[in-house]
Amino acid sequence: MGEFLQYVINGLALGAIYSLVALGLVVIYRGTGHLNFAQGEMALFATFCAWWIYDHGSTMWFAVIVAAIGAFVVGGVIEFGLMRPAGKKSPLAVVVVSIAMFQGLNSFTTLLFKGSADGLAFPSLFPNKPLDFFRLGDNTVWKYQDIGVLLTVLALTGGLFLLFQKTKVGLAMRMVANNPDSAKLVGVSTTRTLMLSWGISSALGAVAGAMIGGINTNITTATMFEIFLLSSAAATLGGLDSPLGALVGGLSLGIIKSLVSHYPKDWVGSSYIGAQTAVAVAFIIILVVLVVRPSGLFGSSRVERV
Amino acid sequence: MPIVIKEGSPQHWGARLLASAAMFGVVYYFYLSAKPATLESITEATIIAIAAVALNLLLGYNGQISIGHSAFAGLASFTTGYTVSAWGWGPYKALLLSIVLCFIVGFLVGLPALRLKGPYLALVTLAVAFVWPTIAAQFLDKTVKDTKLAGLRLNPPEWSGLKANRQDRAIYLYWLGFVLLLVAYVVVRNLRKSRIGRSLVAVRDNETAAAVMGVNLRLTKTITFGVSAGITAMAGWLFAAKSSAMFETDFLILQAIIYLLALFLGGAATLTGPVVGAFAYYFVNRFVKENAGDWTFLPGPLKNEAVAPFLLSIIVIVFVFIAPFGLVGFFKTQGRRFFTIAPRPLRLAVAQELQEQPSPALAGEVE
Repeated sequence: MGEFLQYVINGLALGAIYSLVALGLVVIYRGTGHLNFAQGEMALFATFCAWWIYDHGSTMWFAVIVAAIGAFVVGGVIEFGLMRPAGKKSPLAVVVVSIAMFQGLNSFTTLLFKGSADGLAFPSLFPNKPLDFFRLGDNTVWKYQDIGVLLTVLALTGGLFLLFQKTKVGLAMRMVANNPDSAKLVGVSTTRTLMLSWGISSALGAVAGAMIGGINTNITTATMFEIFLLSSAAATLGGLDSPLGALVGGLSLGIIKSLVSHYPKDWVGSSYIGAQTAVAVAFIIILVVLVVRPSGLFGSSRVERV
Repeated sequence: MPIVIKEGSPQHWGARLLASAAMFGVVYYFYLSAKPATLESITEATIIAIAAVALNLLLGYNGQISIGHSAFAGLASFTTGYTVSAWGWGPYKALLLSIVLCFIVGFLVGLPALRLKGPYLALVTLAVAFVWPTIAAQFLDKTVKDTKLAGLRLNPPEWSGLKANRQDRAIYLYWLGFVLLLVAYVVVRNLRKSRIGRSLVAVRDNETAAAVMGVNLRLTKTITFGVSAGITAMAGWLFAAKSSAMFETDFLILQAIIYLLALFLGGAATLTGPVVGAFAYYFVNRFVKENAGDWTFLPGPLKNEAVAPFLLSIIVIVFVFIAPFGLVGFFKTQGRRFFTIAPRPLRLAVAQELQEQPSPALAGEVE
């Protein structure tokens, strides 16, 4: 039982990070109806920028905040400069641009930061010395780092919830998500709202990247790809238009992954393959969920008028 | 004023013959003059081209996105490698099995795709592509008990008069790749020009309207997925035929992304687009890789051979804006200034029938 609990706790921190990236995907999907394939790589680039600032002698917290603000601005610019003009061409054009951006940003990061392909040592935002943990039971511990990640994600999610539900900007965002034409008619600036969505999503990605760097203690140019995959799976599981779904989907996926990569040890062989198999199992679960509920657990299914 | 050519007129046939002859001429010219290394790289580009043609059928004509086609190619390459090395099958029998197997798996992947749309479908196919290397690694670990699977390194058959050395192998694979690409192209072309092709496009443009007009949505979408996967199997088989060893990392998601980008570079929903795009993508990539180190106009950190994917992504993004239908679409619109092909008029008998006889549905004869 203690062991089981331990794996659940381990999965929570990773799951929180999936939730954060998934939340970014959901914010964009609600606004534009597009899936941003470059979400992970945008976060990757921001994370490497944070590392660069830290490397030039600042504290990690400062570096991450600066990177997140930078990512916010860049996200808005990408929406305005690339995605919106592409969206006017065709929905497929948006997919192509985001896939091309995915490849381009990854390659650009590899070129810009020397040694990034092999991995750079990344400091944690939270205390992560060997003895920094709470003891919950005989052989169950909760690391400060994992608690920190979970609390940060919950705080950010709570903040977003307040933004969506209690502010005028949030109301505008919900209106644009629900019906862009009506929103325009009552004087909501859809352009500004969508730029804001992209900015928020991009900044969330930057924070998530920095935290995964802390957990892994290093970052490579391949780090964010798996995170993106699992986060998109989490968003799909919860429903691409539901922020609550993203949170629940991310956390449950983290737990599933943690359990699967530890339990069937004899069956999956080495630990590398174990981690990969965990992803495979997670996807199979999602496939089953999607076949039963095509718009995810918490997603709303749209009724279309012909 | 552009010159108008009627479809099916002698001039039209002449132009078509000329285009085919020119294509065969280019293929034959490379066969005569190119070095083995060049032929080998053409074969590699052909692998991408076959997969892009398959993806075009699915995405370009049927509107179903797949970022999972690398998995089908990988499945075919492993099926071929294993049946040939472990069961002693002939390579062509293995090709047939790969196509059938990929058709079935593609059909099965198409089943959940029936309920999923747009981004959800993209994610499911992405998952398929992501899971493939894991399955391949498990297969290597448990069944082959090695870190690699032997490829075919296919030798030319005796009747061709070619010998079993590198030069002749390259020539044989070059022709084999050409034939497979031609088969893939003809299959997609004939599907497109037939009644089935029209139903594919109808489903892409408006599912509800297509269903109302009697198109069987489920069958159309799943079969298209299957056929597309089956064509991709030829790409995987060609890869197995040319390799001496295969690894689980041969068909990562990156490959599926390359197929997509190549397709869009050439032009989705055009018949020749995927072929043109694949060759353009492959050779631009190669050219940048070989030369970028010497390019003085690139700023410091970018002066590196690894700049190729970055530059190609930018090219694809630029293409989305200046030529939404890719290279082929661009040349088509430019060519239309000089030549237009007038479609064949409706046959007289059919036209009269349509005018004279009210359809039974209108006359209220159908219950």
